[in-house]
Amino acid sequence: MRRKNYRQIVRMSILHIFFISICFLALIPILYTFSVSISAKNDFLNADFTLIPSEVSLANYKAVLFDNPFISWLTNSLLLSVFTVLLSLVFSVPCAYAFSRYRFRGRKGILYTLLMLNAFPAILSMSAIYRILRLLGLLNSFSGLVLIYTGTMVIFGIWNLKGYFDTIPLEIEEAAKIDGASDFQLVCKVIMPLAKPSVIVTSVLVLIYVWSEYIYVVTFVNSTEKYTLAAGLYSLQATEYTRNWPLFSSASLLVAIPVLIIFFVIQRHMVSGLTAGSIK
Amino acid sequence: MKKKAIPYFYSMPALLVILLIVVMPILYTLYISMTNMNIYHWFDFEFVGLQNYGKALFTIDSGFWISLLRTVLWTVANIIAQLVIAFFIAVLLNVKGLKWKGLYKTLLMFPWAMPGYVSILVWKMGIYNTEYGLLNQWLKKMNWDTVNWLSSDLIAFCSCTILNLWLALPFMIMVIDGGLQSIDKSYYESATIEGAGFFKKLQTITIPLLRPVIAPMVIMTVFTTFKQFDIIYLLTQQNGSKTGADIHTILTYAYEKASVTNNYGYSSAVSIIIFIILLLFSLISIKDLKEEGR
Repeated sequence: MRRKNYRQIVRMSILHIFFISICFLALIPILYTFSVSISAKNDFLNADFTLIPSEVSLANYKAVLFDNPFISWLTNSLLLSVFTVLLSLVFSVPCAYAFSRYRFRGRKGILYTLLMLNAFPAILSMSAIYRILRLLGLLNSFSGLVLIYTGTMVIFGIWNLKGYFDTIPLEIEEAAKIDGASDFQLVCKVIMPLAKPSVIVTSVLVLIYVWSEYIYVVTFVNSTEKYTLAAGLYSLQATEYTRNWPLFSSASLLVAIPVLIIFFVIQRHMVSGLTAGSIK
Repeated sequence: MKKKAIPYFYSMPALLVILLIVVMPILYTLYISMTNMNIYHWFDFEFVGLQNYGKALFTIDSGFWISLLRTVLWTVANIIAQLVIAFFIAVLLNVKGLKWKGLYKTLLMFPWAMPGYVSILVWKMGIYNTEYGLLNQWLKKMNWDTVNWLSSDLIAFCSCTILNLWLALPFMIMVIDGGLQSIDKSYYESATIEGAGFFKKLQTITIPLLRPVIAPMVIMTVFTTFKQFDIIYLLTQQNGSKTGADIHTILTYAYEKASVTNNYGYSSAVSIIIFIILLLFSLISIKDLKEEGR
């Protein structure tokens, strides 16, 4: 018995050593970025890698925040994200509800067509979308970007929400229906609260997409003042910051932190909200 | 309103946006792919039939086939590595009696939680950079020669693969971990009673039961890996800061033909071919994504 205990302890220790090293590998790029961003000296060049810098300072953060249009990039990112998330939900919730609860001609056909459309890499639509936006007079405008982002993410929204709606038993709705509730009331008062994990995850993934999208912004928007954080960071690394890794590291962490926070807040919904529809 | 019209009414706004932003560009690309639109024929382009397709498919040095081959290699290598490593880690996470499992899982999720393009740029600047990247700093410390991680084809391809693994593994680990937890523990108990060892259980219980559960997510990952653009583009092909490695995947290849050499007709033809390849793949795999009939 004693021998077994001893073996168990050794096994567990090996396992813990394994996991600690794996976690270290996963975190090292982030830790290193963080350490460079708060180091006062540019001592990252003399090959003495330490995770704790010899002198701590927030000068890099200050420089990023105030020497660049960082605040207006942040505002732009927030505006675009919020509007895209709202618009995506307004479009995809009723659509997902229709596909989940109604049986109509062309339902299956449309559902599969949507899936098929996803096979076309969005990035290759660039020049076509450019022409469409020009036609609509939406070049160099936020409305144009919101439209593109919504169009790109709505298919995902429909499929993800529909999958979750399907798992909500019809009986729950029947009761409300007998009480004379309209579809609109049903969706708002019954379906949405029950589908919360999926609605949250859908919104967050749309938000992260908008937060990380740079190609459309860089291509369609022509003044850096109107850039988003992603586009701003992209333009920074492509130019002056290439020589200034400490500044760049603090800028990239500032961009990443909001997403990190949101992600870990909703983390427990993440897998269930994403997979309820597809995993049975 | 007529009852029959209701679902169409509900889905109309979403479908219209999709029509405008997704369907129209595809149709437009299809149309342009049959013209000679390029920098010399910006407005006066004319219909040339299937000439662009012929150029992509039958000209040996067009670069199309090699990029396609590279993309397939990239996808296969990444998916296999992801599945094997993620499975291994997830199984170990589920070892009975492991403490701090939640903490390890949270820490392992960080790469997934970072916005992808930030991570890619951070890796480019902080890990792979020739002067102050972490890897070369370590090499210098050990008095070894430094390496240009992104400039020769093979090394750059491996660097991109490592980064993709770093980015994609957390999701795969969570999916497989979720799948493992959905397996009824009593199967293992009865297998233990019958004297089955660890590998026997893996082979007869874990893998067969896990497969249907993780299949949709794996298929999804195949798509995102095949369509991965940011890693290769940002690490090696950025406009104005190319590193010299020629590791175009089919996607960066098509993008470059459009945005750098402005050969729109040709690029559109390549886009449509990519679309057809991915469509065929979805048709093959659609039975796994089938919705449950109710």
